[in-house]
Amino acid sequence: MKILIADDSRVMRQIVIRTLRQAGHGGHDIVEAENGRQALEMVQSEAPDLVLSDWNMPEMNGIDCLSALRASGSNVAFGFVTSEGSEEMRQRAASAGAAFLIAKPFTPEAFDDALRTVI
Amino acid sequence: MNMLTFFDPASADLEAPDLEDVRSVTEDVWMALLGEDEALAPRAVPAGAPFDAAGAWSAAVTVTGGWQGVITIELDETVARTVTARMLDIPTVDEVHDGDAADAVGELVNMVGGSIKSLMPGPSTLSLPSVAAGRAAFASDVQEVCRVDVAWRGGPVRVCVHVPQGGPR
Repeated sequence: MKILIADDSRVMRQIVIRTLRQAGHGGHDIVEAENGRQALEMVQSEAPDLVLSDWNMPEMNGIDCLSALRASGSNVAFGFVTSEGSEEMRQRAASAGAAFLIAKPFTPEAFDDALRTVI
Repeated sequence: MNMLTFFDPASADLEAPDLEDVRSVTEDVWMALLGEDEALAPRAVPAGAPFDAAGAWSAAVTVTGGWQGVITIELDETVARTVTARMLDIPTVDEVHDGDAADAVGELVNMVGGSIKSLMPGPSTLSLPSVAAGRAAFASDVQEVCRVDVAWRGGPVRVCVHVPQGGPR
């Protein structure tokens, strides 16, 4: 399985990769994007099976990236990993076609629970 | 120095987050990033006292919409670099570059600010973090409504919430 991690923070991309490993999902191929626009391009070029995306990013945010993906016909599995875990944000994510939203700070268990819905 | 001012006080809501909620959010973020054994210790600081670290890093995010506020975090220089090293698995603090510290401190305030945003009336929007090497300073059009002073390994850490001065006009 190939996972695309989109986050403008290198620290957070590293923490997401570490948490995937701690959650028992360390064997996947990982590719990284620094913003939503780059993630959008990399879904085409890298054909990931899952996108794990931050919400707030420069250039293009996560929700606009997801909307653009769906508008282009892509059905790639998409989950948010974001500091914003309110019900309003969860509803916006689900309405746009996200499979899940993991709120920061998170635990390996939260990652495992979320990934099991798409693997 | 991180110089912070506000935006549109006309629609501001002076509602402040609960102090214990902010303390709890800060501790949760800290332990999630650094481990359950890395608790923050309470620290008594007189009201109005500036952040007293000799060297500091600071970062801020703003919330606009149903609630307006600015959330800042200030960290002692050694704390900032040690936290960065831990977050990035860098073996020694000496190997932490300023860009690494800026990234890590920005992510800290993003997580604390996002959690506080979720506790306040919405809908609202969270800004991208702004980060500076130096303590935070605040313009006269904002007022502090919540402050948490703690310490990690003896180094000071402060989280503040400011709202527009005077509320609705």
